[in-house]
Amino acid sequence: MFSVLRGSYEKTILQDKKELLLALTRSAPGENGDVEAWLEEARKTYPALHLLYVRGIPGVDEIQEFSLDAELKALWQARQEDKAFKTGIEAASYLETFVMPDAVRLGSGESLLIFSPVLNAEGDTARGIVVAAVDETVLTSFNNLTYALSLIAFFVFALGFGIATFSRDPPTGYAILVLFSIVLLFVAYPLFTAVRLTFVQEGRFSLAIWKDILTNRQYLGALAGSIQLGALTATLSTIIGFLFAFFVSRTSMRGKKLVTALATLPVISPPFSLTLSIILLFGNNGLITKGLLGLENFTIYGLGGLGLVQTISMFPIAFLTLAGVLDAIDSTLEDASLDLNASRWETFMRVTLPLTMPGILSAWLLVFTNSLADFANPLLLSGSFRVLSVESYIEVTGMNRLGNGAALSILLLLPTLTAFFVQRAWVAKKSFVVVTGKPSGRLSDLASKPMRIFLLVFVVLTSLFIVSLYGTIVAGCFVKNWGIDYTFTTANIVEALQRGREAMISTMTLAGIATPIAGFIAMIGAVLVVRKQFPGKRLLEALMMTPFAVPGTLIGIAYILAFNEPPFLLVGTGAILVICYVIRELPVGLEGGVATLRQIDPSIEEAASDLGADQATVFRTVILPLIRPAFISSMSYTFVRSMTAVSAIIFLISARWYHITIQIYNFSENIRFGLASVLATALIFIVLAVFGLMRVIVKKSEHLEKTVTVQ
Amino acid sequence: MDQISVPVNLEQVSKIFRDPKTKSDVHAVREAQLEIGGGELVTLLGPSGCGKTTMLRMIGGFELPTRGRIRIGGEDVTFLPPNARATATVFQSYGLFPHLDVFDNVAYGLRVRKIAAPQIETRVMEALDLVGLKALARRAPGRLSGGQQQRVALARSLVVRPQVLLLDEPLSNLDALLREQMRVEIRRIQKTLGITAVYVTHDRVEAMSLSDRVVVMKEGVIQQVGPPSTIYERPDSQFVAGFVGKVAFFPVEVANTTAAGPVACTLDGKPVMAGSVAPGVGKKAMLMARPESLRLGNPGEGACDGTVSTNVYLGSSVESFVATEYGEILVQIDDPSMSRVRAEGSRISISFDETRVRLLPVAG
Repeated sequence: MFSVLRGSYEKTILQDKKELLLALTRSAPGENGDVEAWLEEARKTYPALHLLYVRGIPGVDEIQEFSLDAELKALWQARQEDKAFKTGIEAASYLETFVMPDAVRLGSGESLLIFSPVLNAEGDTARGIVVAAVDETVLTSFNNLTYALSLIAFFVFALGFGIATFSRDPPTGYAILVLFSIVLLFVAYPLFTAVRLTFVQEGRFSLAIWKDILTNRQYLGALAGSIQLGALTATLSTIIGFLFAFFVSRTSMRGKKLVTALATLPVISPPFSLTLSIILLFGNNGLITKGLLGLENFTIYGLGGLGLVQTISMFPIAFLTLAGVLDAIDSTLEDASLDLNASRWETFMRVTLPLTMPGILSAWLLVFTNSLADFANPLLLSGSFRVLSVESYIEVTGMNRLGNGAALSILLLLPTLTAFFVQRAWVAKKSFVVVTGKPSGRLSDLASKPMRIFLLVFVVLTSLFIVSLYGTIVAGCFVKNWGIDYTFTTANIVEALQRGREAMISTMTLAGIATPIAGFIAMIGAVLVVRKQFPGKRLLEALMMTPFAVPGTLIGIAYILAFNEPPFLLVGTGAILVICYVIRELPVGLEGGVATLRQIDPSIEEAASDLGADQATVFRTVILPLIRPAFISSMSYTFVRSMTAVSAIIFLISARWYHITIQIYNFSENIRFGLASVLATALIFIVLAVFGLMRVIVKKSEHLEKTVTVQ
Repeated sequence: MDQISVPVNLEQVSKIFRDPKTKSDVHAVREAQLEIGGGELVTLLGPSGCGKTTMLRMIGGFELPTRGRIRIGGEDVTFLPPNARATATVFQSYGLFPHLDVFDNVAYGLRVRKIAAPQIETRVMEALDLVGLKALARRAPGRLSGGQQQRVALARSLVVRPQVLLLDEPLSNLDALLREQMRVEIRRIQKTLGITAVYVTHDRVEAMSLSDRVVVMKEGVIQQVGPPSTIYERPDSQFVAGFVGKVAFFPVEVANTTAAGPVACTLDGKPVMAGSVAPGVGKKAMLMARPESLRLGNPGEGACDGTVSTNVYLGSSVESFVATEYGEILVQIDDPSMSRVRAEGSRISISFDETRVRLLPVAG
């Protein structure tokens, strides 16, 4: 962190010098002016600056050198032909200011050379060059000073904090300090910057952006579109999710495990993959729309297609939520109702449905917020239909209006927050779920025979549809030109792997770096939240959970705003991607850790401490082994989510650090569906492999979970 | 396993918690003053929420006292963390490490102390032998019965040779039969090792049967400290009398409060005698009588009249519930023969065994 700080300080100072020099050269005399007098004047005002005035461009014009500093003049004459000097001269002749990367020896010390053009009266041609030598010791001593000051300030703060609150428990103190620094720097600060930007116009407070956003029909249309799509997706997903959940939890048919596995597949599948397969099947050159039905005017792009893709990718969320709720309802309640001579239908309507109602609402809200935040699917499939997430992306990348982009993303946050508070206020209060100690055996089938057949057919057809979507992607890998020429080829694979290799490697590298960091931060955070009491705990928890509610587009915009300039210049580096992965996946890891830790009897840790272990030893020998399942699943989750991220990182990638999902998007945009299919398939297999590996590892430690709560 | 017996002293210890919901302070322990002798087993007894567990956790170092000092063997340990104290705790839920087997659980404290492996082996097996679990050294804790888990927890605490053993309701999760068995076991081990022990319980029978002294607590305040027999027979307050056993109270007027021996008083004008007097008794007092110090007689013969409402046959005794003007009073009839037990519904009178009834201050 300090090297970043230091680097940016250097940059700021050099920036200052450059600007100063630019101003100075503006005042420099033209072709026939009195250079000597100007140099005298400059030396009086800026004694630390050594100047050399070159009249004319070397290699183009006749040149004349002036300087009050003989050493500088000598250096110029000696090294004019050096590569670094040539670059400087060339830059100046193209009207740019250039800082020589390496310091040169000048007199007794090291100096940095800055080349700056002297412009003609019109300001469009270089008439000469001013070379300035800046004493580097000035730079470094200033740097060292600020560096030392900030270090001292940090340690004083840390020490004071540690002594005041944690004289008994220093590791906890440091953990709190580190986590606070992380979330303040990478959650609070960027978001604050983004929000601030929407209220600033030309350097002062202004509501212009918000006025524009809230009156412009285009933006309001996008808001309406998002809500429309969200409502459609949420409703369809909840219905399908409920049918699936009912099938799995309330009927005694076989194949439940298979159905569950198939239905959860879309949750972990990479972005663009389902969209891709929908386009392959129903797009303009789709296999079904054009190939089989020969439709000409049909378009999958828009609300309908988006609703379809989102429903398929998001109904598993509703399914898993509702299956949990249905499983938790003691089925003896239903048996009791049947026993009291209610019919199955009456039992369903009067017992099962009311008890599931809070679950249904929270499933709906969950899907709704997910649909709003979804970026990848609309990016490919929205057509002329507008949604907020894509709109804010276009504002930023297409129009370069960061303020508007940030404001649109914030607008996206509002329905999400509303949904969250509705959930808190209403669902939590109305939750009837009675969790009994042990699930009781099912005595009677709640669904009648025709109902069961309907459920079975529905579930099987939906599952088959999902399978065929994945099949389509795999098929897409081997087809020459989808929609036109269906001949078999392996050329796609070769080309895709060649062109996608770099992106694949950089994505895996960065995700691999982010994974353990996110895992450790999440687990330490969980320990702090569950086991420790300290001032500011609620704030820390809230900040760690914030990225969960904030749409990825907003995080992406906030990061380019916050880390694009000193003191934190991170845009374009791999680090910003790693940080983005860690921060975005922190909430889920934290929740997992907290849930696991809450099940662990605190007296286990107290016993370890009592037997002589200090806090660090307790964490290492007791807590970590016990939360290992949560730790591992949080890490594999982070890895997979990082590999498949789109919304935030699309703003942050650079040529050096590209991302595999964006590569898929680019291939699809350029109608290279074959290449996109190959990368999507590869990504699906990576994801499945990681989850498979996780299951194997977690299963090994499963005996733990059973004994953790033993009384 | 030799142990050094060290005393534990609590000096004016108070603990105030802040209730996050109501934003008010809760006095968990108020100015507790207690000296526990070396090798003594002291029980902290009281209803739930009386502060007994908080007191134990302060001795163990899991909570810091708001005020006061705690000394172990004369050394001030008030602010030492648990890992720096010579105490070992047996937790109510045992707190066994589920990821370690029995041997490794017991060895944990020794490994943290960086003791050599061969020595760990001997000491762990010795400790397991003491609690009779040598054969199960390689079992996972999840595959042990409640009683066995309890023994592992005990062995794990003893193996580090603590100066003070702290037991936080260690038997509350066991069934009745096992509880009795473990009670005897704990007492045996504690006496064998001569270790100072503090035992928290809300079960009066447990407290009576295994402690050298009992500390009765209520709402964070120590009510009375004494050997079990004193606490039972000569309690100082209505609360202690009621908490440690079945008891009946009769409001009496005291004729002479200064007398040392049996004191004469009147129960609604009828003269009665009380064998002993608690400190702080004034003109109006409560006469406490245990079920075994009451006798049944014919109406008009005793201190008060009543009607037998229910007889409960317990084998070695019969408990007669008698409805009187002072409420329902329990009379225990030992060695019951049909002649001494009165039929349900019959009018009778109750008289006191004067040597065993005691005068207490009126609560309030």
